[in-house]
Amino acid sequence: MWDDIKSVLTFAAFRPDADDPDLAWSKRFDGRKTLLLNISRSQVSWRSINRRGKLDQSGSHEGDLADVASQRGEEWRALTEGGWCAVSLNNRFIISLENGLMRADNLSHLLRTNPRSVLGPKYDRGKRYALYHHTDTTASMLLACEDSMIKVTEDVLRGVGLKPGRICCGLFAMMEYAIRSIAESSRGQAPGSYLLIAACEGSIAALAQQDGQWRDLRCRSGLGAEGVETALQIVSPLVAKAPPGTPVFFVSDGQDAAFRTTLMEQLERVGARDLTQDDLMWKIIGEH
Amino acid sequence: MSQFLCHDFKTPRTDMSRRLPGSMRLVPVLFYVVSLATAFFIFKDVRDLQEAEKQRIASVKELEDLTMELTKLDEEKSKIDNELFRAQAVAKWVEGTRVLQPITVAIARAMPPETNITELSLERSPDLPAQISLLVRMINATVAEVPKIEGAVNRLHYRTHSGQQAKQGEQVEFRSMLVWQEQ
Repeated sequence: MWDDIKSVLTFAAFRPDADDPDLAWSKRFDGRKTLLLNISRSQVSWRSINRRGKLDQSGSHEGDLADVASQRGEEWRALTEGGWCAVSLNNRFIISLENGLMRADNLSHLLRTNPRSVLGPKYDRGKRYALYHHTDTTASMLLACEDSMIKVTEDVLRGVGLKPGRICCGLFAMMEYAIRSIAESSRGQAPGSYLLIAACEGSIAALAQQDGQWRDLRCRSGLGAEGVETALQIVSPLVAKAPPGTPVFFVSDGQDAAFRTTLMEQLERVGARDLTQDDLMWKIIGEH
Repeated sequence: MSQFLCHDFKTPRTDMSRRLPGSMRLVPVLFYVVSLATAFFIFKDVRDLQEAEKQRIASVKELEDLTMELTKLDEEKSKIDNELFRAQAVAKWVEGTRVLQPITVAIARAMPPETNITELSLERSPDLPAQISLLVRMINATVAEVPKIEGAVNRLHYRTHSGQQAKQGEQVEFRSMLVWQEQ
């Protein structure tokens, strides 16, 4: 009772809840320091957001999350107020194309609380899901991430005094962001064709759109730094199938500049445009 | 891109309550406004109370001063009344006194030429200045001179009381008390 009164009198009851997934990260933590973590198969990287909402300190550590967290936990706690962090999982997920999935205003809430009602027979108990719908067709991108990995991640972070306010997939978020950017830049024009390739810390996804329809999507997570060849093998069939002149967009983020450079060199041969911005993945998960 | 919201698949919380609507911000705002107003009025009332207490003390002091002054004035008035009473007594005494010379002249003129006044005494009573004790001794006079004397003093608005006349040889003595008659 006293806490409720206190929260009303301090206006805390009117501020966004730190744990509310329906609000952008920047709104939830306006004026507070937070931590962004990107967890890959064998590496954890992080950026902090200062009170002015700008990206601040950064770092990375090779190793499994549990090991890294035990060594860096104290440092991470110092970078955040209240222990809140946003986590990008970059391993053990798969992105696929689906058709005819439910579309509703509270879809994201349903996906978290009752995913079977959204996915029907496609639902797997051992996975957690995120969806991104094509704006003009019934196609959707479906992200499925290992439930056990999410739970382990939450437990490890809680063990070092951190509270995960968001757990997402950085690569999927970059795909969403890039698709929206392309759609906004071509607004008013007839639905076109393009090939979108996104890479994040050794994970890669490629989406092919033809005549306004999503035709193919290929994804591999946790390739690692030496996975350039594998990445090219994933992308090549899509490039080969695309009609000549189809724009190719590339967007990437990650610590390994060599992976990005090598991949971009190959994609430049088919006229790929690099949409990459500095700290794009961090900006997406730390702002939106 | 502002409407873009990053997906989230963390374990959902069940204890999360809905945020209060923005319009409810009026509640804490009003609370603070009322609190500030209450504090202001309490402060103002305390100041007024202190001021009133000061004024009360000043008024009491002023009342005491005025009471003392009134007492002093009463004493002075009492003194003045006393002086007035005494002055009135003196004035009354002075008022009661009359010049004696006209009586002397009137008695002398009332006597016939052959009568000699050997002694004429007018003695004013110290307590009742309006009463004058008259003594006239005459030679070659008769008792008939006494009414003349009385008539003369009556014309001067004196009335004779307790008149006594005596004749010893050729000397006639007349004693009387003259009392001034107010007009």
